[in-house]
This record gives sequence, structure tokens and C-alpha cells, in this order.
Amino acid sequence: MRVNPNAVPDVLAAIQQVQQAQATALQQISTGRRVNLPSDDPAAAAALVQNHNRAAINDQYTQNATTVQGMMQAAESVLNSVVSEVSQAISIGVEGANGTLSAANRATLAEQVSGTLDSVVSQANTAYRGIHLFAGTDSTIVPFTASSSGYQYNGNSGVNSVAIGDGYSLAINIPGDEMFQQPGSDLMGSLQQLVGALQNGDTTAIGTATNQLRSALDYVTQQRAFYGNVASQINTQETFLQNESVNFKSEENSLVGVDLATAATNLSQAQAASQATMAAAARVLQQSLLDYLK
Amino acid sequence: MPGLNTSLLTAMHALMAQQGGMDVTSNNIANANTSGYTRQVPVFQEAPTSQEGSLTYGNGVQLVRFQSVRDELLDLQVQQETSQNSGAGAQTNATQQIQPLLTTTGNDIGSQFSAFFGSISQLSTDPANLSLRTSVITDGQNLANSFHAAVSRLIQIQSGLNGSVVQDVGKINQLAQQIAGLNTELISLQAGGQDGGTVKDQQTELIRQLAELTDVSTIQTERGITVTTGNGTALVVGNQAFDLYTSAGSNGYQQVLSQGQDITASLSSGSLGGTLIVRDQMVPDILNQLDTLAYDFTNAFNATHAQGRDIAGNQGGDFFVPQSSTSGAATRISVMLTDPSAIAASTDGSAGGNGNLTQLLALQSSPLPSGQTPTDSYSTIVANVGTLAANAQAESDASALSLRQLTDQRSAVSGVSINEESVNLIRFQQAFEAAARVITTIDQLNQVALNMGASGGGF
Repeated sequence: MRVNPNAVPDVLAAIQQVQQAQATALQQISTGRRVNLPSDDPAAAAALVQNHNRAAINDQYTQNATTVQGMMQAAESVLNSVVSEVSQAISIGVEGANGTLSAANRATLAEQVSGTLDSVVSQANTAYRGIHLFAGTDSTIVPFTASSSGYQYNGNSGVNSVAIGDGYSLAINIPGDEMFQQPGSDLMGSLQQLVGALQNGDTTAIGTATNQLRSALDYVTQQRAFYGNVASQINTQETFLQNESVNFKSEENSLVGVDLATAATNLSQAQAASQATMAAAARVLQQSLLDYLK
Repeated sequence: MPGLNTSLLTAMHALMAQQGGMDVTSNNIANANTSGYTRQVPVFQEAPTSQEGSLTYGNGVQLVRFQSVRDELLDLQVQQETSQNSGAGAQTNATQQIQPLLTTTGNDIGSQFSAFFGSISQLSTDPANLSLRTSVITDGQNLANSFHAAVSRLIQIQSGLNGSVVQDVGKINQLAQQIAGLNTELISLQAGGQDGGTVKDQQTELIRQLAELTDVSTIQTERGITVTTGNGTALVVGNQAFDLYTSAGSNGYQQVLSQGQDITASLSSGSLGGTLIVRDQMVPDILNQLDTLAYDFTNAFNATHAQGRDIAGNQGGDFFVPQSSTSGAATRISVMLTDPSAIAASTDGSAGGNGNLTQLLALQSSPLPSGQTPTDSYSTIVANVGTLAANAQAESDASALSLRQLTDQRSAVSGVSINEESVNLIRFQQAFEAAARVITTIDQLNQVALNMGASGGGF
């Protein structure tokens, strides 16, 4: 059988093939990626879309957690200060219930408790980055304002939930009326009553108001735990989210990343193949009978 | 009894024949690198013998013709594989242009979906914040823009392909006319007993070029070669070429017609066929998938948005411009809201409520009418396009390989071997020298004979 006398197209194709292999290996090493276009591995490219999406969601959960954590800390610190001030007011109430106290002394105590009340109202109106922490979901308005009959709650009973994980949402607020004006544990009302009782010098009423204030303080202290709980749940979740973030990166790497050892081996193989092909090509193309005919 | 002059004549014919052999060798060597050239061999034949009495003697050699060494079956296979290869090549080129749109870059649709839902999620931590609300609108429009960018690039690619269709049809017509012209030439040559090898080479090469543009089948007839497209539309019959022409179809793109018949759908390989597949099937399919996604997402998002209440407590309006039909939805998708306070974040009508944002966020993991979540739908499109591109590439590689094998086989039959031609050259040279020696010898003999007469006949 006659042999194909024209080796040039085959030689060119072989050279092109080894150069392609070299270019691919080099691209994989330089980009660190095995999949640079969807056609390199359609399934991996599609999975990468999902991976990026889930990683982005994960990052957003982390960001949400940080923001909410700030709110929780702000609310907790407000409540800490309320608890400590109200504890003092209770001591004042106990002191004021003592029958030996003069009216002038009681008036001073009344002023102190009145100061506490102002402070508690002001604390309850705290805004964290413009969000009123105790206004329910009506967070743009000042929740407590003075009215003829005491302090009026302007907020609502709404509770916002924020997602910090897949299917994991946390309620992030307790409406102000529930916190400070809960019937039976009405902190603001009790303080107001105490002020009135101290001003009137009615020791029985002082005692009653002080007792009410105690139970309101117990209630607020209980409620304070809510914020602490959320904060600690967020802490745990942040660790989980960080791990997830690492997992997504490593999943991305296994989807589209290149194993450097393999890629480096591919490159050196491609280089060896290239050299061999060039050497063979040089031999094949040189051979001609004309070299021997003189 | 043949005389010296007869021998002289025989030697002269030998010289001419060997000269012809050297001519053909020289021509072969000259065309060693000519595309489509088929090597030729001289066909020698014994000259008719003469009879004189009981003696039959030869009259030397005749150079009958130059014969091209070709295998027509291989030529045919090369044509077919050429069509396959350039069809796959056209698909590969086009799909390579499409792919970057759907590669995860940060600006692609998938990343924009993530960013959009990300800003909604962020707003849920501070729903009354106007700058966060503005981000939701901005990211919504970015998402819409990523659809627009993909669509306009796809349409740009489609228009480019449309231009190629017109160009390819022009080239097909030109080639068909040349092939028809060569039919006439070939018939008159063959009528004169010639092989017409060179003309045949030209014609075969033109048909191969035609096969690069569209799949062709050929039939040899007494009026020359008949060339039709794969589905039988005549391109060349005898000395007549039948022009294809293009005309804008109902989809706005150029359709290929032959004698009033729309043959666009029947062209499946060659660069024209490959181009048409991408232009009329692949790109519209991707556009349709993007339209469906844009349409379904707009409707689902608007429906949920309308259930919420904005910062002032009013019922939510349309977030995206409402869509009435799937077709073109990816082009039309756009954010309708301009006032950030009109985002319906709450369900209770309070400025800081985020109840409806939770519902909107749930859309990220809820199936659209297609049965897939927005991100799943998008990743399916990515996988589809990747598969199309990978298949086109694989087919292109595979057909390139078999085309090379066929070309090698064809070259094994018809290709010029410099070594072989060198040997032939020596062969003809030696025969030529020998014939020349015969002439010298006869000349000397003639001299002897003439001198015999001049010396006065002393016998």
C-alpha cells in the first residue's frame, strides 16, 4: 500500500495538539481553575452558580448576624442600666416606706424616683442606628411620650424576625409596651405610682408601689434574658456561618479548582510531549531521497 | 524489414515518451503543495506492431495520456466529513462567544440574583432605612440589566450569524457557477479522449470548498457532475448553476431559498448549516429560557410584593414593570419602583416591619412555575449552554480527526511523493539517455552506410 507522502498536515496537527495541551495545563495552573468556561465542565459550572449563590446567602446571614448582634447588645445594655436604676428606686421605695421620714425627705426621694422614671423612659426610647429598639415594628417613631395619664406607647406590638441561617430566623425585638407597660408588671406605671405615693407621704401606697415595682423589675429582668439569648444564639450561629463559608470555598475549589500537583504533572507531560513531537517532526520533514542523490 | 530510419523513428518516439514522463514528474513536483492536486502518471502503451512477412516487429512506445490517480469514493468521504467538520466548527465558534455571558463573573445573572436577595436580606435588619431600600432598587435594576446584557449580546451574536448566512449563500452561488463552468470544460476534454485531470482537480477542490459551506451530494452524469444540497436541492446540473438566495423571514432573519422554496430548515451541516442551527435553534432556545425566567420571576416577585405594605402603610404596588407575555420578558424586565419608601417591606403597615421582606426572601428558595428556584433555573441555563459548547467542541475535534484520516488516505492515493518523483525522474532520465544513445548509434550506422557509398563500392 502506498504511504501518505505528505506528513506536513499530520505533523502540524500533532504540534497543535501538544501546544493545546501545554496551553491548557498552563491556563489551569495560572488561574488555579480547571473550569474556566461552562463547556469545560457543564455540570460543575452549574454547580458553581449554586455554590456562589449559597456562599452569597451565607455571607449575608453573617452580615445580618453582625447587625442584629449590635442591636441586641444595645438593647441589653439599655435594660442593664434600667435594671440597675430601678433597683435603686426600689431601695428608695423601701426607705420611703419608713414612717419616721419627714415630708421634705420624702419629697427628695420622690424627685429621685421621678428622675429614675425620666431616665427609664429615655432609655426605652433609645434608637440604635435610627431604629427605636422598643417601638415594636414602628421603629421610626419615638415609642414613649408623656401624656396627661402618664406615658403613652406610640409603637405597635409587631416583632421583626431576621434570618441568620437557612430556615433559621430569630425574633429580634420585644415591643416596648410589653417590656415596660405589661399589665401587672407595669414598670413605668409603678414608678409613677411610687413618685405619687412619695409625694403624698402615704406609706401604705409607697409599700404597694414598691412591691409592684419589684415584680415589674423581675419581669424586665426576665425579658432581658431574651436579648442575651438571641446574642448567644447569634454567636453560635456566627461560628457555624464561618465554617460554612470555608466549606463553600472548599466546595468551589473541588468543583472548579485544579489540583496543582496534577496540573503541574500535566504541564511537564505536555512539555515532554511537545519536545518529542518537535524532534520527531524535524526528523520526518528532513528526510528526502534528494539528500542522497548527487 | 524495418530500416535504420524506422529504428530512428522508434527512438524518437521513445525520447518523446520519456520527455512526457519527465514533464509529468516535473508537474507533480511543482504541485507537491497544491491543495486538491492529484498526482498524475504517464500512461505508456506499446505502439502498434508492423508485420512484414512472417516477422512482427514493435514500433516502440506511445504516450497515450496523463492519468490522474484518484479515488472518487475517498473524495466523496472527504466532502462529507468536511461538511461535518465546518458545521461543528461554526457551532463551536458561536457557542464560545455565548459562554462568557454565562460564566460566573460577578456581573452575570446568577451573581445579580444573589446580590438582589442579599440587599433584601440586609434591609430586613433595618427595614425603615432609606439607603438600604435604595440598594434594593439599585440591585433589582442591576439584576434586570444583567438580563438585558445577556439578551443584547445573544441578539448581537445572532445578527452576526445572520450576516454569515448571507455571505455563505453568496459563496455557495459563486462556487456553484464555477463548478458548472468546469462541467462544460470537462465534457469537451473528455470528448477528445483526455483525462481532464487538472480540471477535475479544480472541480473536486471547488466541491470540497462548497462542502465547507453546506452538505452536498454529487452524482456523476454524462453532462458532468450534478451537485445538490444534502436534502436534494439542485445547485449544479450540467452547465447550469441554480442560485440560492436569501430573504428576510417572519423572525426577521434571512432565510435561504431556492427557486421560491424555503430550504433553511433542511440545511444542517457545513458552516451555513452550523450557523443556522446556532442562529435559529440554540440562541432562540437560550433566549426563551431567559425570557421564561424573567417572566416567572417578575410575576412571582410582584405578586408577593403586592401583599406587603410600604413605609407609609399603603398596599405594595408592582416592584418590577409587570409582564404580559413570556416572549421578550428578559428584554423588558425592569424595576418599576423609583421611590425607595414604596418598597412593601412590612405586612403590618409599620415603617420598620419586615414581615413581607421575609416573604420576598422566601422566593429565593421557592420554585417558580417552571418547577425550579430562580438560581436553579439560571444554573440549568448555564449547564445547557456549557453542554452545547462542549458537544460542539467534541464534535469538531472528532470530525477534524476523521477528516485528517480521510485526507491522509486520499493523500496516500493521490498525493505527490517527492521521493517517488525523484525515482521516476531518474527512470525517465535513464530511458531518455538510452533512447538518445540509440539515435547516436543509428546516426553512426548511417554514417557508415553513407561512407560505404562514397568510397565507390569496392566490394
